[in-house]
Amino acid sequence: MRIVDLLSQDKVSLGAFAGDREGVIDLLIALQRRSGALSDPAAFRRAILAREAQGSTAVEGGIAVPHAKSESVRNPSLAACVLQKGVDYGAMDQKPSDLFFMIAAPADGDLHLEILSHLMVLLMDPAFSQQLRQAPDAAAFLKTIDRFETEKFGEQTKSDAKRRGARILAVTACPTGIAHTYMAAEALEQAGRRLGISVKAETQGSGGAKNLLTREEIAACDAVIVAADREVDLTRFDGKRLLRVPVSDGIHRAEELLREAERAPVYRCVVQTAAAVENPSLGRRIYQQLMNGVSHMLPFVIGGGILIALAFLLDDPSINYANFGSNTPVAAWFKNIGGVAFNFMLPILAGYIALAIADRPGLMIGFVGGALAVSGATFSSPGGSSVSAGFLGALIAGFAGGYLMLGLRRICDLLPRSMEGIKPILLYPVAGLLAIGFFMCVVNPIVGQLNTSLYSGLERMGSGSKILLGIVLAGMMAIDMGGPFNKAAYVFGTSTLAAAAGQGSDVMAAVMAGGMVPPIAIALASTFFRNRFTTEEQKSGPVNYIMGLCFITEGAIPYAAADPLHVLPACVVGSGVAGALSMAFGCAIPAPHGGIFVFPVTANVGGYFIALAAGSVIGMILLAILKPARSAGRTMP
Amino acid sequence: MVSAKTRVVNPQGMHMRPAQLLVNTLAVYPCEVTIHFGEKAVNAKSIMHLMAACIKQGSEIEIECDGEREEEALQAALSLIESGLGE
Repeated sequence: MRIVDLLSQDKVSLGAFAGDREGVIDLLIALQRRSGALSDPAAFRRAILAREAQGSTAVEGGIAVPHAKSESVRNPSLAACVLQKGVDYGAMDQKPSDLFFMIAAPADGDLHLEILSHLMVLLMDPAFSQQLRQAPDAAAFLKTIDRFETEKFGEQTKSDAKRRGARILAVTACPTGIAHTYMAAEALEQAGRRLGISVKAETQGSGGAKNLLTREEIAACDAVIVAADREVDLTRFDGKRLLRVPVSDGIHRAEELLREAERAPVYRCVVQTAAAVENPSLGRRIYQQLMNGVSHMLPFVIGGGILIALAFLLDDPSINYANFGSNTPVAAWFKNIGGVAFNFMLPILAGYIALAIADRPGLMIGFVGGALAVSGATFSSPGGSSVSAGFLGALIAGFAGGYLMLGLRRICDLLPRSMEGIKPILLYPVAGLLAIGFFMCVVNPIVGQLNTSLYSGLERMGSGSKILLGIVLAGMMAIDMGGPFNKAAYVFGTSTLAAAAGQGSDVMAAVMAGGMVPPIAIALASTFFRNRFTTEEQKSGPVNYIMGLCFITEGAIPYAAADPLHVLPACVVGSGVAGALSMAFGCAIPAPHGGIFVFPVTANVGGYFIALAAGSVIGMILLAILKPARSAGRTMP
Repeated sequence: MVSAKTRVVNPQGMHMRPAQLLVNTLAVYPCEVTIHFGEKAVNAKSIMHLMAACIKQGSEIEIECDGEREEEALQAALSLIESGLGE
């Protein structure tokens, strides 16, 4: 056994940065995963942490050797890193550790003892660790180990690692994804046969990726050729020799490419510290699909929200309360442009969820599904009804669209290969559109019915307890932020304005409070309980103060869509409290929107302020309680 | 200088956790402690040295203490190793 054989250049990281002990462990596990030595990285990570919990694996001199024997290890493997700045790894001499060797050993045998002992013999020589720390690159790092190992243990025959899978891997893709993608793949594989080099090519056509490269194959290959005229995800090739060329080169210069690839530079992408699980669980997959939609939607919410807020700022409510936000031409311009961005919000959410599920063919289906959810189209009124299914409807549309398209692709796989070309340009769009159109026209009437019964329920309540009505209305504003509940409450609120004839309506005040609380509560929570949110969510948190104060409830949607089961209850309760207090204080508002800008004409504005503050703080506290804390240093994919 | 022979009994031998335990136990004694194992002689107060020796289960070792409180250190080391190094 030689240490140097258990390592490889792609499992050495020099000059990386890690914030803490878990950061280093994640970094090292990410390195280990490149060799395919781990069958279950998550289980291995637990084994490593369990070992550290029994006592730190730090030894003297800033060196630590995290190790674990585990069923999740296929074959023994080492990974090494030198950190830019040492971290506290619980060393007995209390000095920070910066040189790490992580040992992954299979569950049987005491190989890890031998590896440890072997390493220690080398590390006892201070010159060894000093030269490792100064190694300019991974090649020099391995060379140093090789030299010292030969010196201390004598020359041992280097065992040839058994070669599995193809030597050269390829990914082909062209913008339309119909012909060139497959021609390039074919050309590369044929050239490989002529040269006696095993080649496997993954095609990323518009019908979705085929002949997928596995993690093990990537780990075992010599080089990767990416022949593509559009963006291809390269992160999985981190640390591999990578040749990136236009797709036409793949067709015309296939043999040259195969020869060039072995000398291509090693590709480096930012090391991802979070040890994402190899085969994510269903829940994890759904979360990733959801987040794909939410992260693409976010810019629309922020851009549109701020422009609408500016519209209120630039407008004069006294001209016409009912039309606040578009009374002056300047305000109307901002409000309309912002509104256009808002109109895209839910289709984008649904479209990118479907894209994450079903690849490119899913985008259109999800997009249209989202738009149908917004318009509330039904079989009897396909042009749209008055009731939008809101963001919950868009979520349904996104997931339904994605899985409908997946099913459609399964069915189309039964068709003869000669029809491959017309699938993405004809079959998927037409059949998919019909499917999602049908689906949404079935869902929307249910939503419409719900809305109608909610509205009549509110009308019956109108004569009962004011405070109870305030709770219900405000809570409904927060349940779906634009869907049937929200619409019923909002329309009910605005309908009381006419009767109030400019005097202000207490019902409208409760409704508006209910719509203002969710964004403010989220903004507060993202300020004071940062670890409950992703980095992206933390950054866009402050914008929610503005949106909340302007009664733009949509600001809360990205947060609610990302984690509905925790965020919605907190928002509903917070809003309910604000609505109840607003009623109790007898606050009344004469305008249907505007938030803080209509405060000057609000009756008992002091009480209204207290109601909002109380609701928002309660919302924030509930968010902090309900949302689980994220472990430090983790970033979301 | 005092010394005594003993046998490592815990199933996994002198791996890291037992080595740490031994180093921690010996740290309070000012004397030098050396473990002789085969032809190797290693510093028993260094995890690195102990690990490098690769002492497996059943191995016979000789512990040698030299300096202040050497007798106490020897007894502490012997009883710890014979009790299975915490395993």
